[in-house]
Amino acid sequence: MSNSLIDLDNISVLFGAETAVKQVSFCVHAGEFIGLIGPNGAGKSTLLKVILGLQMPSKGRVRKDATSVIGYIPQRGDLGPIAMPISALEVVMLGSRGSKQVALRSLEAVHMADVAKKRFNDLSGGQQQRVFIAKALASDPNVLILDEPTTGIDERSQTEFYDILRDLQHQGMTIVMVSHDVDTVLRLVTRVVCLNQTIVYDGPPQHFESDKYLPSFFTAQHRQLHHHHGGQHA
Amino acid sequence: MPEILHYSFMVRALIAGILVALAIPVMGSFLVARRYSLIADSLAHVSLAGVGAGLLLGVTPIYVAVPITVAGAVLLEWLRQKQRISGEVSLAILMSGGLALAVVFANLAHGVNTDFSSYLFGSIATTTTQDVIVLGVVVGITLTIIAFNYRALLYIAFDEAGARIAGYKVSLLNYVLAAITAVVVVLSLRIIGGLLISALLVMPVVTAAQFARSFLQTILYAIIVALVAVVAGLIVAFYAGIAAGGAIVLTALALLIGAFILKKD
Repeated sequence: MSNSLIDLDNISVLFGAETAVKQVSFCVHAGEFIGLIGPNGAGKSTLLKVILGLQMPSKGRVRKDATSVIGYIPQRGDLGPIAMPISALEVVMLGSRGSKQVALRSLEAVHMADVAKKRFNDLSGGQQQRVFIAKALASDPNVLILDEPTTGIDERSQTEFYDILRDLQHQGMTIVMVSHDVDTVLRLVTRVVCLNQTIVYDGPPQHFESDKYLPSFFTAQHRQLHHHHGGQHA
Repeated sequence: MPEILHYSFMVRALIAGILVALAIPVMGSFLVARRYSLIADSLAHVSLAGVGAGLLLGVTPIYVAVPITVAGAVLLEWLRQKQRISGEVSLAILMSGGLALAVVFANLAHGVNTDFSSYLFGSIATTTTQDVIVLGVVVGITLTIIAFNYRALLYIAFDEAGARIAGYKVSLLNYVLAAITAVVVVLSLRIIGGLLISALLVMPVVTAAQFARSFLQTILYAIIVALVAVVAGLIVAFYAGIAAGGAIVLTALALLIGAFILKKD
């Protein structure tokens, strides 16, 4: 397909005897906003690692279009509580390969230019995550890959974070986001891929919730999630 | 000219100390950021085994210690990358194994034990002109390698997976950083001493981190702290007639405590 940026062809990943991902095939097309969801242990993070080239698939192939440049936004916890001082600007300059100008522009794009000289670990969780977006943008990507990006961030910052993602998508960015926040995913994305080792749903968010498509394991988890949130969405 | 500079051994010790103070905090900044600060300790213990072997064989100890320590560094990094055993476990194994070998070798090489203690705790009287020249070349090469790979090393220190995704040669650079750490550790033995070297790698960096706002600032401040500690420590060692390593590390410790107290306000 001409406009597919990433093409996963029959991917399986085994860890010893355990199957993490089983025969997964899907294409990421330019301009899509894909929400990758699924229960814990469904293989979401493993599949991301395969796409990022950090994990070799046991079977199958990953093809990336020559034009695809991936920007990766890790889980916030992945960098741990950083013991050493690093400025927000320095973090973004990792993405821009040392260019201060590009880094400053990227920080401006996420409304974070004023914290450039601050220590990264003095920033709030929401600010840190926006710095990570700036870092990803600084590498001039056409695909953004996010792994549970809003874990541990307060609700207002989450909203701001998702607004930025929406703007980026409107500007033509292709986005793949792993999230456990099903409600937000359904509101935000253009396509839902639900994984439970293998793909159990792949289609528009509108259809996902209808009984016909919603996988049974997810119905239970989803109800539980609603319950947790005080049932406001039920 | 101050009295201390009338003694050529002291001038050599000061030059060597300054060279060490330029290189070690730079490496230390990357290693502390990666939570790998104990690597210098482990490598220093391995290098002592090399020193012991050198004394036993009657060869210049450093020439035996360098290849053995670099091999130890490569082994450590390989274990870490393959994740066969966790980082701190492999550090601990190498550390005690190295020291055990060192002690046995030193015992076997009877009669040269006095010389061996200068490798344990540092000595101002033993630095030769050749030591200083070799150290100067190695420090120059080390700082050049780090300067040319600064961005990649910084990326790896804070986000190894991200650095891989960005296409940096992460494995290779990890081996290079471990190897140059090994070489600098061995060459610093005579000044700081094998048992005290990791203090100079960690303390100035932690002191600097109290005030720095960026990584680059941390490196620059850490160099300044290390220079102060080394020069003051050597002067104290000279006048008080104590082991150089002890005096240097206690000075660094005093600066660190001072930084904590200042930072508290």
